[in-house]
Amino acid sequence: MAYLDLNVINTYYGRSHILFDVSLSIEKGEVVSLIGRNGAGKSTTFRSIIGLTPPRTGEVIFKGERISGLRAFRICRKGIGFVPEDRRCFPDLTVRENLEVAARREKATDTPWTVERVYDLFPRLRERERNLGSQLSGGEQQMLTIARTLMTNPEVLLLDEPSEGLAPLIVSLLAEMILRIRKEGVTVLLAEQNLHFCAKVSDRAFVIDKGSVKYEGTMKELLADDGIKEKYLAV
Amino acid sequence: MDLSFLTVQVLSALRQAAFLFLISSGLTLIFGVLNILNFAHGSLYMLGAYFIYALTLHLTGPAGFVIALLAAPLGVAVVAVVIEMGLLRRIYVQEEIYQLLLTYSLVLIIDDLAKIVFGPEYKSIPKPDAISGAITIFGGTVPVYTLLVLGLAPAMALVLWYLLYKTRTGKIVRATSSDREMADALGINMSALFTLVFAFGAILAGFAGALAGPARTVFPGVGTEVIIESFVVVVIGGLGNLWGALIGSILIGTLETVGIVVFPEFEMALIYLLMVAILVVRPWGLFGRPLKVKALSDKNLGMEAQEISPVHFSMHPLVRLIPLALLLLVPLMAGRFYQYLLTQILIASLVAIAFNLLLGTTGLLSFGQAAFYGVGAYTVGLLATKAGFTPLPALLLAPVSGAVAAGLIGFFCVRLSGVHFAMLTLAFGQLVFAIVYKWYGFTGGDNGIQGIPIRPLPGGIDIASTQAMYYFALAVVGISVEILRRMRSSPFGATLKSIRENSQRAEYLGVNVKLYKWAAFVAAGAFTGLAGGLYTLMEKSISPDMIHWTKSAEPVLMTIIGGIYSFAGPAVGAAVFIVLNSYLVAWTENWALVLGLILLGMVLMLPGGVVGFINEKARGALTKRGWVRKWLFSKSTAS
Repeated sequence: MAYLDLNVINTYYGRSHILFDVSLSIEKGEVVSLIGRNGAGKSTTFRSIIGLTPPRTGEVIFKGERISGLRAFRICRKGIGFVPEDRRCFPDLTVRENLEVAARREKATDTPWTVERVYDLFPRLRERERNLGSQLSGGEQQMLTIARTLMTNPEVLLLDEPSEGLAPLIVSLLAEMILRIRKEGVTVLLAEQNLHFCAKVSDRAFVIDKGSVKYEGTMKELLADDGIKEKYLAV
Repeated sequence: MDLSFLTVQVLSALRQAAFLFLISSGLTLIFGVLNILNFAHGSLYMLGAYFIYALTLHLTGPAGFVIALLAAPLGVAVVAVVIEMGLLRRIYVQEEIYQLLLTYSLVLIIDDLAKIVFGPEYKSIPKPDAISGAITIFGGTVPVYTLLVLGLAPAMALVLWYLLYKTRTGKIVRATSSDREMADALGINMSALFTLVFAFGAILAGFAGALAGPARTVFPGVGTEVIIESFVVVVIGGLGNLWGALIGSILIGTLETVGIVVFPEFEMALIYLLMVAILVVRPWGLFGRPLKVKALSDKNLGMEAQEISPVHFSMHPLVRLIPLALLLLVPLMAGRFYQYLLTQILIASLVAIAFNLLLGTTGLLSFGQAAFYGVGAYTVGLLATKAGFTPLPALLLAPVSGAVAAGLIGFFCVRLSGVHFAMLTLAFGQLVFAIVYKWYGFTGGDNGIQGIPIRPLPGGIDIASTQAMYYFALAVVGISVEILRRMRSSPFGATLKSIRENSQRAEYLGVNVKLYKWAAFVAAGAFTGLAGGLYTLMEKSISPDMIHWTKSAEPVLMTIIGGIYSFAGPAVGAAVFIVLNSYLVAWTENWALVLGLILLGMVLMLPGGVVGFINEKARGALTKRGWVRKWLFSKSTAS
């Protein structure tokens, strides 16, 4: 059994069926990409895992334990961290406060994330410590949401389109940080449209389109497969 | 103006502001986190005052007073926890209006329970000697208790500030109020936090009541006065914003004090005028921001939202005539009492159906319909008494004045939606109430006008007789309801529904959303005014009671009881409401309690209303029996 397993999940928004029999399995310590166009079902997959939009059928298994059906805060406390695509810093809280409210599970690891440690990872946040969430630039907001989720000491990090709308320089900075986070022993599931970004950080990839998984393989194979790229990823 | 006078006035303004802040800070905190406008907040204040009253009967002396002052708010917190965990928690995923109604049913229940336990009379709470005297400051006489209030309220504000800005839980509260879902995903237990915040808000209300009780008095129903004031404060300051509540309290406290000295007649109206002035410039209040829709996912709070399906059948035209035929035959079978009761039901139905053009069709919760009802009623009453009008021309002017009032008020209100809209209409309604209530020279003030001369209609029909009045009301209401029905199924009605479903998309499709909302508001105001005019013809008297905000709650209740997604629902609700009301009043003194319990049950169990429920049951049966359906119903139309 894998570390994190999605077994044939089907997810709906009200009456509309979004995910069709999606199955993913992720091993501990991997960085895995979930690649697909806008509206392919990447965010819904993440929302299904974290419990914000629970799957109606199928199950999510984490470390051998069924987590689907639990409420989001319980799933978070099991060690799954979610970074949503639209960033969503708490606008009325300072950078430091944004981090403080998320601090959790300090005893889950030997080297828990602290405010100081995430500042070391994102030095820019230290400089902006006293600024409000609403006063940050897009890149800074992205760093803050990742840092904030790290404060929950996740074992699996769900990163939803972190590169979206960021300048190329910031994107490569972000890639470096993801690799550093992986070194800390965090498993990362990355939803992306940016293939090059995925190639930099991940080894394996799933391609999702119209709510179902169309391809599974190594990043290398995917990059070589023009047919798949053409069919599911070309805009 | 001398210094002593000024000192006394300033201190009394600050004292008033202190009480207001304690109440409205809790209200705004609860709104910020739970997204619920707690109508019962005033009742929690009242409980605080009653609890200290009950406690000081046994605990005397300064130490006893201090203990009572601290214990009363904690008692209120216990009540609040029961309310939150037992009732509110079940309906967080429902639409806003059910949450509003649940807290409103609590107002009815708590107020009546207070009346049963403590009696209907005013109670004053004794203060220990040490704090009951007065001292002289700059030549002005100031009660020692005022100084105590002025010490304790800011202290409480500081505690509040410390908790929210310096503790982790406080930071979590602030985070949650801006993004619930994110907080959930970060491992914050929303259910526990909601209970905590609701209880803490209740402590603030209870403390306000316990502190204000000895300075003022307490009586059942004081909550409904207090809640309106604090609504005004939080609307001015910006819903959910604590600084707003602070500034709003100081503004209102000052204005009330100045008002009493300078314009004693229109002190109440001044407050609402200030609110209007502020909202014209800043629709979301001084510190407020437009509310983003804070979506709650199904499993956020561990439950699924109940889906309320719109009614899909529309009656065959002939079937629709059956109730009309029955109504025509009533006087042959029923005595004057039932004719009178039915006339009341007809008038209430018109109010409720007109109201549902806003709520069910457009998705606007107006809490100020009593204003238009009153304007229509006073139009007929004043024209008949002061200008000698006959009923018909007077009644024709009732919808006109209703429409004009709705046009003016609507101009400000349609820029808002949701709870903001509800509160602004509520406040405007109270502005009209405040003016009518105090304008003795014109409206008769709080006495109203009795014995309005109602002359016969052309052809010598004397509608002073119950039966003639019944037929007259049936004709007027029948025609009006038919117009409203056609309006609802016209393209105009379809556009309103699109605004209800998604006003942003309607805007993208080129619909002038504000204009349509305004038009619906004016139309509803006109028919409500007409209903008010009919009321005057029936009762031959008018009083400001019919404009009070609690009267505005009636069409809301009727519509919810009957069902908002069917055209006839509100009329059924009106019938249930009027019959219940008149029998309950005859049967028990505590009709408000029974009504509150019924409403509570409805909100928790039948969110689709009576008609929605029947429909749900009938649908299964009807689809099985094709012939019944074919005979009873023409085409099916989505509501």
